[in-house]
Amino acid sequence: MHSLLWKLLRKNISLVQLIGFGIANLVGLTIVILVVQFYRDVQPVFGDEESFIRKDYLVITRSVTSVGAMMGTPSEFSEADIADIEAQPWCRQVGRFTSSEFSIYATVGLGNSGRSMYSQFFFEAIPTDFIDVTDAEWEFSPSQPEVPVIVSRDYLSLYNFGFAATQGLPRISEGQVNSIPLSFTLTGNGRSEALPGHIVGFSNRLNTVIVPEQFMQWANERYGNGGHRQPLRLIVEVNSPGDVKIDQYMVEHHYEVAGDKAQAGKASYFLTVVTTIVVAVGVVISLLSFFVLMLSIYLLLQKNTQRLRDLLLLGYSPAQVSRPYKLMVLAVNGVVLVLAVVAMLVARAAYRPMLEALQIPPASVWIAIAIGTAIIALITTGNIIAIHRKVKALWIQES
Amino acid sequence: MQIIELRDALPRVFAGREPVPSQVWQCQLRLERGKHYLIVAESGTGKSSMCSYIYGYRRDYSGTITFDGADIGTLTVPQWCEVRRTGIAYLPQEMRLFGELTALENVQLKNRLTNHKSEEEILGLFARLGLADKVHTPAARLSIGQQQRVAIVRTLCQQADFFLLDEPVSHLDETNNAIVAQLFTAEADRQGAAIIVTSVGNHLLLDYDEELRL
Repeated sequence: MHSLLWKLLRKNISLVQLIGFGIANLVGLTIVILVVQFYRDVQPVFGDEESFIRKDYLVITRSVTSVGAMMGTPSEFSEADIADIEAQPWCRQVGRFTSSEFSIYATVGLGNSGRSMYSQFFFEAIPTDFIDVTDAEWEFSPSQPEVPVIVSRDYLSLYNFGFAATQGLPRISEGQVNSIPLSFTLTGNGRSEALPGHIVGFSNRLNTVIVPEQFMQWANERYGNGGHRQPLRLIVEVNSPGDVKIDQYMVEHHYEVAGDKAQAGKASYFLTVVTTIVVAVGVVISLLSFFVLMLSIYLLLQKNTQRLRDLLLLGYSPAQVSRPYKLMVLAVNGVVLVLAVVAMLVARAAYRPMLEALQIPPASVWIAIAIGTAIIALITTGNIIAIHRKVKALWIQES
Repeated sequence: MQIIELRDALPRVFAGREPVPSQVWQCQLRLERGKHYLIVAESGTGKSSMCSYIYGYRRDYSGTITFDGADIGTLTVPQWCEVRRTGIAYLPQEMRLFGELTALENVQLKNRLTNHKSEEEILGLFARLGLADKVHTPAARLSIGQQQRVAIVRTLCQQADFFLLDEPVSHLDETNNAIVAQLFTAEADRQGAAIIVTSVGNHLLLDYDEELRL
């Protein structure tokens, strides 16, 4: 830097104001990038996908109350109920659970032991869109009736760790399940027929036994009593499962949400809300510090107006005389950025062990650093444009 | 730059006043490179205003001022910077030195921009003007006459087609006046430049080609 220029122009620079700005901006920026980093670090706790874009599903039923049961309050969802849910802003789509309207007995052969299990059974069907098992052969053809089923993964755990362990039966892996011979005896409408079946997959989302809708339609016509029933359960795809509006809606309409999906979703939702609030506070602090620096620079330029004008008269260009101030802003903001990143990394080193204990993999720090850099770049650009304009305005010196 | 012209120029504050006989305001004035002009003025007749219009830092006039036929109102900021570095060397009446810089630093501030003189030449100029022992004294601690000489040295530190000197010797004695006249004549002759001097009484002792009343 031109040392004589700097010697002239550094006059009236208030170190106190610069440090004040530096500290304020450091606090604001550190809050922003630390919270962004923390959010990214703990996000895996709440799901593999980003909660902002995560699809989530709630399975809902009507609350069963003893009074309601005695009064004959319907436990089905009417078309009007479904339409109302579909009209809610948090709802993406609604799927109906179709229940089987006939009795089912399932027989499971247990390998070569000759033993078999025999149990009363039930089926439900939902539209394919809602099923989280994607690679299954999910077809049914009446000409070659064989029933593919998807069961809750919990059922397999229940069998492996509860039943098989205590009864001396072999444990089954998911891969082996396909080879287990199943037979379903369907009875109703004056018929009783046995159909072969096999488990094609396990669902985390659906706590039931799912068959293809095609099959359900065919079987209900064939074995059912012909009465069309409204669904007892609905599966709803929602934007954000923790949304309080969903909660309110469920309570108002006496609906129940199955599983703890909503709880995890709620925690994730609150994490997002808290993150947003804290980031907003950080941004506000940064913004205020930006104005502090701006005022400080205006004051400085004001005090040095005569010097700047005299330099312009000597033939210095506005760019040349404003460069020392621009470099000063760049340096101060650069230091603030570096310090904020260091502060973020130090704080992260302090909380990481806690997350490591939960075996949460670390998230990359680059996004947070990029956000910090972007904010500083924005602030610096704002300052530099302001300096440039102020100095240019000194060009004409009206009497 | 060869010619500076003022066509019907008049400071806006003078508009509507009784017209005073002037050879500058509301006239066709042509200032040519290589000549020496003395503009004699009484206080308050717009002497410094004229300099500020020609030097481009005030625009509160009516009429037109041109450099080689081009209206100076159309010059861009970079073009003006170029004019101030190589076209017009201006010595303001109020000198405009930086009090916190030494005499030498004040001159260097200009010379670093123009690279016109060596440090040796600058020190030689200081010596000619009797300021050899004041080179490292902050300008604020110099007497007004000394400050005027420092500003003169600074004005000499650039290539120019016109030296525009606003009361250059108002605070100098006759001896120094003569030295200053020699310095400017030598520099202007070397560059083929014009010298335009304003004065309210104490004229710079030059041979003038034209004497104008403001």
